[in-house]
Amino acid sequence: MALVTHQLGLEHGNGLRALHGLELKLSIGERVAVIGPSGAGKTSLIRLLGCALRPTAGRLELFGANPWQLSAGDLRRLRTRIGTIHQAPPIPPRLRVITAVLAGRLGRWPAWKGLLSLLYPADISGAQQALARLDLADRLFDRCDRLSGGQLQRVGIARVLYQQPELILADEPVSALDPTLADAAVGQIVAEAEQRGATVLASLHAVDLALKWFPRVIGLRGGELAFDLPAAQVSREMLSELYASEGSVVPTQGNHPIALQAFGDGGEARVLRIDNSRGLG
Amino acid sequence: MNALNGQSENCAPQGPGDFCLTCLLSSGALLLAIGASFAYLDIEFGALFSHESAAGMGDFVVSFFPPDISPGLLYKTAYGALQTFAVAAIGTLLAALLGGLLALPAAGRLGAAPRQLARFALNLLRSVPELVWATLMVLAAGLGPFAGTLALALHTTGVLGRLFAEAIENAPPLAETSLRESGSGSAAAFFYGTLPLVWPQFIAYSLYRLEMNIRMAAVLGFVGAGGLGQMLYFHLSIFQQAQAATVLAAMLVLVLIVDGLSHLLRGRLAG
Repeated sequence: MALVTHQLGLEHGNGLRALHGLELKLSIGERVAVIGPSGAGKTSLIRLLGCALRPTAGRLELFGANPWQLSAGDLRRLRTRIGTIHQAPPIPPRLRVITAVLAGRLGRWPAWKGLLSLLYPADISGAQQALARLDLADRLFDRCDRLSGGQLQRVGIARVLYQQPELILADEPVSALDPTLADAAVGQIVAEAEQRGATVLASLHAVDLALKWFPRVIGLRGGELAFDLPAAQVSREMLSELYASEGSVVPTQGNHPIALQAFGDGGEARVLRIDNSRGLG
Repeated sequence: MNALNGQSENCAPQGPGDFCLTCLLSSGALLLAIGASFAYLDIEFGALFSHESAAGMGDFVVSFFPPDISPGLLYKTAYGALQTFAVAAIGTLLAALLGGLLALPAAGRLGAAPRQLARFALNLLRSVPELVWATLMVLAAGLGPFAGTLALALHTTGVLGRLFAEAIENAPPLAETSLRESGSGSAAAFFYGTLPLVWPQFIAYSLYRLEMNIRMAAVLGFVGAGGLGQMLYFHLSIFQQAQAATVLAAMLVLVLIVDGLSHLLRGRLAG
């Protein structure tokens, strides 16, 4: 098992309950999408699974170990096996793109190699390959503050591709990309995972992307599991119930209305209203 | 997202009660303190503008003109200016290096005890003025530019160390924490996550202190630390106002050049 949670819960300091009683099992190599309205706890879940936050209830096991019972050194080694793609890439604006990508392997490099790489990039071709997969190879030596939001988000993805983690956690990784690029970027994350047998858990705003690329879909609502099903079994009713707090509008990407058949519920094709204000950068 | 929502609620204004009895009272106290200071110091602006003092000042100013521009003095002045610049530059450079080293513990990166210790050291260095350091250093290292350099370096280390530490503490932590969350060591995470954020500030602070140290290095000459200040002190004390005027002009030019260059550099850094 790559990841097991038992009654996992998170309560913020101010008493706000972000997650409650989560039961989750991901076997190695599995790809799971997490969908749900905003405020459902998607980001909290990813922060918990990435050992960025400590759960306030329940238990978390990553690759068979409880990260919060590990020694500092073991926790650090465990973390090198986890790569998190953030919605807003946490990259200092003055860093060069290549440095930002190479930073993905700081956990595996000895400290001296990381520091030397600031003076002269240690692995130019590696960074270039990772960027090329996201169509950004020509921006290798640009400074990150010269990039658009969408380009920066792709640099963030390239960093995690370059890190080659065994567990990829992605928090709305393509929220700033247009539909074509978003589709390609998610495709690259999936391809990387398939190629190396890595496990993926990605929260996605656009439901159509989740259903297209991920064999298993988890619905989160109000910090609790609404459903956890193979993509083919996710029905229209489940989705509109999941997004009830947002007027039952199922967010998708793209400018064209999407037929419900794409959701695989086998029902008649009907058109949903598209929420254009979000999901597009 | 949830965490952010929760935190922002705490800083939201609660209403008119926020603005604020405390602010009114403290501004009142401040005004009172300013008024009391004037009364206590017995400052008489009248005496300053009286006829005879104005005439005395006028005579003194006139005695500086015309400045002495004989080649020998000009050469000596240029050498003095170079020395003053070197004292300020090396002093600031040493201070930036030492300050950078002390800023890490002072920003709490190595735990609570080193933090207190480093803060204490920085406060001590900063609270002793450059002139006092110079006097001490002249006693320790003898007359000359070396003493001036050490004096500037010591005081400026206190100032820059404190500023650097605050820049590190105030830098958004996300870039560094996200690197640690992918397993990077703390040194590497600092160099890739936080240093790129604070580096421009480090340079800007150092350049700004260099400007101040140029002026201070000129003054330090008065206690024997070489450069333009020592020349100025020498010529003034034997009433050679014309020569002193040349030295003062050189100080002005030096300060203008360095301020201009540093302004230019800082402008480029900001871009």
